[in-house]
Amino acid sequence: MAELAQRRSVGLSNPGAWIGHVLDGERLFGFVLVAPAIIYIVLLVGYPFAIALWFTVSNATTAHPIAEFTGLTNLLAVWDDDIFRRALANTFIFTLTSQALQMILGTGLAFLLLKQFRGRRFVRGLLMIPFTIPIAIGAMAWTWMLNPTYSVINWIGVHAGLFTQGPNWLGEEYPAMISIILVNVWRNLPFSAVVLTAGISAVPQEILEAANLDGANWWVRWRKVIVPIIAPILYIALLFSLVFTFTDMTVVWLMTRGNPVGATHVIASYAFQTGVVAGSLGRGATMSLFLFPVLLVGALLLLRNLKARTID
Amino acid sequence: MATIAQHRVTHSTAFRVRRLRNQILFWSVIALFVIFACFPVYWMFVTTFKEVNDLYNLQNNPLLFHLPPTLDQVRYLFEQTNFAKWVENTAVVGGAVVIITVLICVPAAYALARVRFPGSDSLGIGIFLTYLVPPTLLFLPLSQLVAGFGLNDSKWSLALVYPTFTIPFCTWLLMGFFKNVPREITEAARVDGCSRLGAMFRVVLPLSVPGILTICIFAFTLAMQEYVYALTFVSSSDEKMITLGVVTDLIRGDVFFWGSLMAGALIVSIPVAIVYNLFMDTFVRGITGGALK
Repeated sequence: MAELAQRRSVGLSNPGAWIGHVLDGERLFGFVLVAPAIIYIVLLVGYPFAIALWFTVSNATTAHPIAEFTGLTNLLAVWDDDIFRRALANTFIFTLTSQALQMILGTGLAFLLLKQFRGRRFVRGLLMIPFTIPIAIGAMAWTWMLNPTYSVINWIGVHAGLFTQGPNWLGEEYPAMISIILVNVWRNLPFSAVVLTAGISAVPQEILEAANLDGANWWVRWRKVIVPIIAPILYIALLFSLVFTFTDMTVVWLMTRGNPVGATHVIASYAFQTGVVAGSLGRGATMSLFLFPVLLVGALLLLRNLKARTID
Repeated sequence: MATIAQHRVTHSTAFRVRRLRNQILFWSVIALFVIFACFPVYWMFVTTFKEVNDLYNLQNNPLLFHLPPTLDQVRYLFEQTNFAKWVENTAVVGGAVVIITVLICVPAAYALARVRFPGSDSLGIGIFLTYLVPPTLLFLPLSQLVAGFGLNDSKWSLALVYPTFTIPFCTWLLMGFFKNVPREITEAARVDGCSRLGAMFRVVLPLSVPGILTICIFAFTLAMQEYVYALTFVSSSDEKMITLGVVTDLIRGDVFFWGSLMAGALIVSIPVAIVYNLFMDTFVRGITGGALK
């Protein structure tokens, strides 16, 4: 009774506490807290997304954003575009190759970083550098390192006797693709390594020892003990870096602009080229729409796995 | 007796050799990774401080200085470009993005992680999925929206748009932090007469300060690093943020001012690299959600 009276008096004298009591219903409280995020996302992601969908079936351009309905014209035109098909294939090649390399190298790096050695923190700090540098800056540094005339990489290669004259990295088709993958791996490897390190170090030592006693070799330990335990973390890491790589146009745009002759475009960079540089909003939006279903399916699969694992 | 002793000696020598070999192998692999990670930074550093005559002389070993280091390129960056203005814009826009992000993310993440209400799971996933809507899809309609707000070619367009990716990212990061605060603590506060809001402000938020700091840092650095929206919305040099300014304004026609470009790159990179390194562990704890203690 006295407690109730005390609550009342707090409620009257302190507006903050009064608001707190009004919001004390769990449902209302939850909705009020999430509301700003939902409103922001609806206004600045949902609404533009709807406009983008409208663009894909219209002939909107930057000069004439109010457009007419043109049905599937954009889709058919985009599908007939050889450069776009190439960009579509490139997007998968770049993403999957980078991801695979990141996971393999990241696992190796994680095991190295899990050892106790002098200067471990310092080494770890150095290894994080690519991830901490703005991607546009990193891409520019690599563009300069791969410059046709002043490439330091070619200088080292020639002087180490690897080749007599280095390739024009960003000017030839395959070297350019390799360069772009290389920069993506360079950039995201620290992220994979850190997440994997954190995951592996969370595996209880006793379980590993038990597996050891049972005669499990490292591959079995990795496959049957470590991976199942760190899977939820692995999925989050995979999801994040897939998203980063799949939708990124920065590396391609800064390093090659999609050249030579459109051979290195990804969907994102070609959509930018078409939608912003050339001003064809409809075509550009149609191109980037190709990114969405893949991301959606991937994300839903990963999230389902994630949920299943956390419940266990 | 003697055979046993001898046996032990040979064994330990073999062991030592093997250990030494492992050590060498270990450090070589580490060295390879470090060179791969850091060489671009070394190259930025060398390029920044070289005399132009040295930089573009193909006869010289490019890895070393052949003329004394110079500050000419750095001076050019400060005196002949809008560099100071870009730094200011970055601070202002980055600050605004951090404020918007924190005000929106903290309550949202708290509700999604700690409050049971209908549809909270799907809302959480919904917010997360917005992160997957690529800028490449949104910049076209957003440029129309930005123009509608009268923010064409203004840095404030970026402050408006950047939360579209900082909110999903930071909300998910924060949810991990909030889930790590034991429910018993909130329940104890509730039993002691705290309202839900009070429990959030007095109990959970103080325990989650590292998490909130982390999202501030990530919101700021994500905004600072962004390139696509910046390239699309902002074209006046005066309105650029630092990253866009450095990578676009130092290319005049076909001429790349590599020295000054790398000087700017270095100046942008060093502080961020230090801060990120300090907060990397917190970041990992956040991003892996409740899975790590």
